[in-house]
Amino acid sequence: MTALVFAGVRKTFGSTIALESLDLQLAPGEFVSLLGPSGCGKTTALRVAAGFEKPDLGAVSVNDRDITHLPAHKRNMGMVFQSYSLFPNLTVHDNVEFGMRTRKVESAERKRRANEVLELVQLGPLADRFPHQLSGGQQQRVALARALAVRPEVLLLDEPLSALDAKVRGSLRDEIRRLQLSLGITTLFVTHDQEEALAISDRVGVMSNGRLEQLGSPRDVYRQPSSAFVARFVGSMNELPATVSDTHTAVVSGVTIPIAANPGAAGVANGAAVRLLIRPEDMHLDAGTADAGTAEHRHLPVLPGTIVLNSFQGATTVVSVQLDGMETPVAVHTSGSESTGLSGDRVAVRIDATRMVIEPV
Amino acid sequence: MAAMTGQPLPRLGRLGRVGPASLTLLCALFFVLPLLAMARFSFQNVPMIRLGRSTLLENWSASSSLDAFGEAEFRRSLGLSVRLALGTVALTLSLLLPTTLWVHLRLPKARAFVEFLTLLPYVIPSIALVAGILPLKPHARWFLNSNYSLIPFYAVLALPFTYRSLDAGIKALDVKTLVDASRSLGAGWGTTLRRVIIPNVRTSIISASFLTAAVVLGEYTMARVLLKQTLPAFMEQYQDREPQGGMGLALSSMLLTTLLFALLGVLTRPRRRTRTPRLEIS
Repeated sequence: MTALVFAGVRKTFGSTIALESLDLQLAPGEFVSLLGPSGCGKTTALRVAAGFEKPDLGAVSVNDRDITHLPAHKRNMGMVFQSYSLFPNLTVHDNVEFGMRTRKVESAERKRRANEVLELVQLGPLADRFPHQLSGGQQQRVALARALAVRPEVLLLDEPLSALDAKVRGSLRDEIRRLQLSLGITTLFVTHDQEEALAISDRVGVMSNGRLEQLGSPRDVYRQPSSAFVARFVGSMNELPATVSDTHTAVVSGVTIPIAANPGAAGVANGAAVRLLIRPEDMHLDAGTADAGTAEHRHLPVLPGTIVLNSFQGATTVVSVQLDGMETPVAVHTSGSESTGLSGDRVAVRIDATRMVIEPV
Repeated sequence: MAAMTGQPLPRLGRLGRVGPASLTLLCALFFVLPLLAMARFSFQNVPMIRLGRSTLLENWSASSSLDAFGEAEFRRSLGLSVRLALGTVALTLSLLLPTTLWVHLRLPKARAFVEFLTLLPYVIPSIALVAGILPLKPHARWFLNSNYSLIPFYAVLALPFTYRSLDAGIKALDVKTLVDASRSLGAGWGTTLRRVIIPNVRTSIISASFLTAAVVLGEYTMARVLLKQTLPAFMEQYQDREPQGGMGLALSSMLLTTLLFALLGVLTRPRRRTRTPRLEIS
């Protein structure tokens, strides 16, 4: 059984293609994030699921029931919005009861369930407040409680955290995941914040220009991006211009790097110009001498360079290194406890060629 | 305003303090003096030629105005005007509230055009509007013969005020999100309008209603040309017949309108809903 299915869903607005042909299946109790830059179609996908937009083609079903043509108010979805969406004229308690009223739940049961969900989001004591008396984080928790109170088949979250400040965002993010796991509710979460998506999802779908570029576990999406777009959008990437000398090696400013082990190497022609995308944590810094660095990294190819900036950030240190013969410096992450050298020091940057994306240019 | 922007007013010099005060006084005199003159004319039984400082306290009586109130025709015309006002308010709200909401939700690009359109009745003189209606008379006698045929025309006349009022109320809400939220919670359009939109634009609805009523109670041109005996039309005729009583009527209708707007001010004051002080729990 699948809890939510998009089957070939296409949606256009005038000449803009918001969704090209979305195929996505959520298993019961699964938490799936749609991640992408603004205008990539992620919100449209959510609004199609909610019934606010009608797809041009394709079908949406919930628990194996086709709901493509069911109007929004007849679907059993809970939704939390990006902007504060509490009804200003109703108290917290009445907001939470709203969905149960429209579903004609009888009064005692309504009250019991409202109290129950308000306890879940730890807002029981604020039940008599009006929305304008609450902070942004509290309002979003009430919105979450209101969505959960109707016992929805699927929970739809449309960037519910993006209007909040960083600290509240982190705690509410974890709270959403905790609730979702304990209630076992199927959830589709839309965000442009990759950290958020990676942190709380079972699977992440990265979208671009109306297409689902990659769908996989947070680890897979981060470690094995299927395209240069995904690689760049999720996490940060250093970009090294290179030339493929034969299909086994690429040359980066005179240094030969073996690429045969990389799945992207198969598709590039001999002599082609490429860009090597490497994560900052897949680059290692040492003094460049034969016995420098850890044994684990000693076999890796070395690019010489000079430290431009050394920025200590607690758990990690971000070292900006100007590689010889390159235009822009690269970023290297080292653990905060390692000593990394000072600005102006000559260093060697070792790169792990198995962990990079080869992008033809 | 200064309190709203949160910026302290610059300190005014002595002249600076006297200036605004005397200007306010001047304006007040400009409005009040004619009213006092009207009051003397209608409530003092002294020949016009003798009205002066020495006769200020002589022969005050409300009898001529009370006579006017006692006229059957007065009560008939007042009744008609009140019914027209209620009808116009009902028609305006039932048509304009969904329309304004629709424009905000689905046609946000058309807002400037709709705003322009609703301003037209303010720019076009009533006499021009009514001149456009008259040629229709032979074709729509059944309609134009009814007193209530004024209602749709009055709804149009009140548009510049009513649309602006409702538009401002809806603009202050994040209406798209509220409607989406309501629909996702299982409410159809009717429930959404009744339980979400209307309670939150209550203030705008009240002021739109009062403004409409004020337009209807004061409109003369259309009523006169279409030969309807509304309150302003009656007042004009009565003034010819009984100048003193007519003036008393005019004065009381003005007072009534002022009271209506004072009531409006009270009703649309933001409700204080704070039951408990704000408390942060996170």
